[in-house]
Amino acid sequence: MEKSSTSKSSKPAPKEESLFTIKKWNAVALWSWDVTCDTCAICKLLLVDACMKCQNEIKTEDCVVVWGECNHSFHRCCIASWLNKSNRCPLCQREWIVQRIGR
Amino acid sequence: MSTPARRRLMRDFKKLQEDPPAGVSGAPTEDNILIWNAVIFGPHDTPFEDGTFKLTIRFTEDYPNKPPAVRFVSKMFHPNVYADGGICLDILQNRWSPTYDVSAILTSIQSLLDEPNPNSPANSLAAQLYQQNKREYEKKVSAIVEESWMNE
Ligand SMILES: [Zn+2]
Ligand SMILES: [Zn+2]
Ligand SMILES: [Zn+2]
Repeated sequence: MEKSSTSKSSKPAPKEESLFTIKKWNAVALWSWDVTCDTCAICKLLLVDACMKCQNEIKTEDCVVVWGECNHSFHRCCIASWLNKSNRCPLCQREWIVQRIGR
Repeated sequence: MSTPARRRLMRDFKKLQEDPPAGVSGAPTEDNILIWNAVIFGPHDTPFEDGTFKLTIRFTEDYPNKPPAVRFVSKMFHPNVYADGGICLDILQNRWSPTYDVSAILTSIQSLLDEPNPNSPANSLAAQLYQQNKREYEKKVSAIVEESWMNE
């Protein structure tokens, strides 16, 4: 306490400062999958799998993933049926412009 | 027959059971997964507290590209709820997104209870009292809260 007014950063006093010594340090990191990247937010199935419609019709090979310029991605089938109603990205409401199509 | 809409609803139901949001519940009717019954509990510290409000949700095969029709079965007194129980809520109309699920719909309606939008009144008396006579508004609301316990 008493050193708070006198000590300055230009004069480091390592001995005084070691009031506490770190004996053990458990680093904790939290991580999670970025769900919106992994899952199609429309049908809620994984993007690596086919969409619900294609799984139903057993034509899973044709089901591709499409990325918009906003970087949101959906099954092409899922976003296609939504685009009949609106041209906005369902997640960020920006205009939907296709950036790329792939898997 | 399992259509994309029905499979999506099965998923919504599973999510609602595994990760239930506070103060809402819902389940499809036994014979038709497109028709659901739901309950919204009035949020704490609001005039709606302790109310158990029943709703029906009707989906179509266009779900989730089209929003479901949601209405209160229990009597409601709220600026954005019509006399027939229909709800005036932007996300159920022009601001609908196919990324919403049942759990998002129910929690949005729950938060609408305490955050009415006086600009789109569906019940003009409720809207007027909400803005000009809070005490009378709360009296009317507590009457429908009590009524919500009765028709079990
Ligand atoms: Zn999808
Ligand atoms: Zn597909
Ligand atoms: Zn987007």
